[in-house]
Amino acid sequence: MNAFETAAPADGLTRRRGLLVPALILLLVFAALPTLLAGFDRGYFYQIANLALIFVLLSASMHLVTGVAGLLHLGHAAFYGVGAYTAALLTSKLGLGFTVTLPLSGLVAALVAFLVALPTMRLVSIYFAVATLAIGQMLYLVMLNWVDFTKGPNGIIVSKGFELFGFSLSGRLAAYYTVATVVTLSVIAIGRLSHSYYGNALRSIREDDQCADAMGVSTVRLKMEAFTLSAFFAGVAGGLWAHMTGYISPGDFKFSESILILAMVVVGGLGSLPGAVIGALLLILLPEGLRGLGDFRNIMVGLVMFLSILLLPKGLLGEVSALRLVRQQLGAAWRTAGPANGKGEGIGWR
Amino acid sequence: MFDPYYLQQLAIGLSLGMTYALMAIGFTLIFGVLNVVNFAHGEIYTLGAFAGLVLISATAPPIVAVILGALAIGALAGFSLERIAFKPFRRFTDEASLKSRAMRESTLLSSLAVSIVVREALEIAFGSQMRSVPFEYLINTPVRVGPVILVTGDFIIFGVAAAMLIGLQYLLTRTRIGLAIRAVSNNPLGAKYVGIDTDRTIITTFVVGSMMGAAAGILMGLYYGAVFPAMGFTPGIKAFVAMVMGGLSSIPGAVICALILGISESMATTFVSSGWSDMVAYGFLILTLIFFPNGLFGARRERV
Repeated sequence: MNAFETAAPADGLTRRRGLLVPALILLLVFAALPTLLAGFDRGYFYQIANLALIFVLLSASMHLVTGVAGLLHLGHAAFYGVGAYTAALLTSKLGLGFTVTLPLSGLVAALVAFLVALPTMRLVSIYFAVATLAIGQMLYLVMLNWVDFTKGPNGIIVSKGFELFGFSLSGRLAAYYTVATVVTLSVIAIGRLSHSYYGNALRSIREDDQCADAMGVSTVRLKMEAFTLSAFFAGVAGGLWAHMTGYISPGDFKFSESILILAMVVVGGLGSLPGAVIGALLLILLPEGLRGLGDFRNIMVGLVMFLSILLLPKGLLGEVSALRLVRQQLGAAWRTAGPANGKGEGIGWR
Repeated sequence: MFDPYYLQQLAIGLSLGMTYALMAIGFTLIFGVLNVVNFAHGEIYTLGAFAGLVLISATAPPIVAVILGALAIGALAGFSLERIAFKPFRRFTDEASLKSRAMRESTLLSSLAVSIVVREALEIAFGSQMRSVPFEYLINTPVRVGPVILVTGDFIIFGVAAAMLIGLQYLLTRTRIGLAIRAVSNNPLGAKYVGIDTDRTIITTFVVGSMMGAAAGILMGLYYGAVFPAMGFTPGIKAFVAMVMGGLSSIPGAVICALILGISESMATTFVSSGWSDMVAYGFLILTLIFFPNGLFGARRERV
């Protein structure tokens, strides 16, 4: 990865700011929100909070493959489903607890992703998107139709809630803390991954895969790793979902959920982890807030997605637009600083 | 040697394949001209079916008028779809941006978003349940042909689809607008340079393709007697598979592959339950993508 060593290291300012914001977020997630939730003490609010956190994880995991590596993934919900089914089946058939099933659900989803990635990762652009769509639909059909194993459309009841080494964590607040801890740790891991030289290598695939290949980046291997890693985190989210709701059915993992997750990443801005998180919160909490609109909430998802593509092509916090902003700012500074060349304009960056 | 049962399944598969072919042509035309995938094509199918249903329940016209009405709605839907989801993203006309990945993916997402909005709007307007077509409009009067029993729908679908295919062939090869469509699909920039109105050609392509999709929708609605907002998704995927198998921009290839797909699906229901038969299309898709990246009938393409 020496080729990326020249990427600008974080200077003192960004490092200090880089500590403040996460600290505030951690404070919000682990102190302020639980206090609020405990204050209201309604199961419904806990459920919304947990759901939003799970979708934050899903959106963040998709950010890795779609935002950073630039691969349009249309079957993400299927890996979420694989994770959920792994947790549910391990619990209902073998009686295993949350401590064991959570890592296993991630690993099984990653394994499935690895196996389907073996033949398909050489595909590019639209072919890749369609292949992931087909894979997602195939996994969904398996969940729906393999009735002996997955109980088909009836779904599975997950009898065990959250627990840690025998301690039950199934109270409302404990469950919230469990979900929040797992999601936060995973999002931090994804953040570290995407802001490392490894992430830069993935970005090079997004920008120009042929060029990256020519520079000695093993694109197929990196794509496969990104795909598998994102499936791992989606599987973890699935495990959380299974133990949180206590009941799963194939309907939770169909194509429209994949699109919902994609919409979160697109709305938030491709390539930006905070964007993915905000996109997830927006698309989960907005429809809940607009519950009065009833049936219109799904239209909202489509409209928000369409308008954000049309009006904010880079999303709320897109990486590329942020870069352009910096360039414009610097260019303007340059211009005012250099009135020497007659027209009052510097060389600029353009 | 040949069980009549298989002949029967073959006939059903052929009519299924014909509707997939009508859908696939729309996909292929649009892909050929713009080099983008139109994810809202399945919703055109649904709109065609609903237009027919509304016409039937409002005025009870003869079946030909129903099909013509669906075609008109399809044309309108194609026109507005192009204006809403594709035109705004064609801001630049130089070659680099016409072929750029960003443009392709943004229209992919915008057509996806439009398809969500249309489907949900239909669900609000008509409810997500299946709506049944009035009995007298169903095209399933049995007709005995030798050892197999066909229904009138098989003939109607075959006839309408064949007529539309021939009409399309005529349009593409014998008329000026067909020449323009082929020119734009061959080289958009070159077509622009020789004075072809590319914008109008693209709109025509959308209108023609969407009319075919809407026709497929109303025919299938009358054939199965059920119309519901999510009905376009599966045929859309199948048609897409047919297009990829046929080699992306080859219309005859797409038609042949759509027929293969329809027949293998109806044959598959013999051996597995109908829930699994969708697996056939996805399996075909993955296999084609891996082993025949140029499609079964496609010319060699540059790497995209």
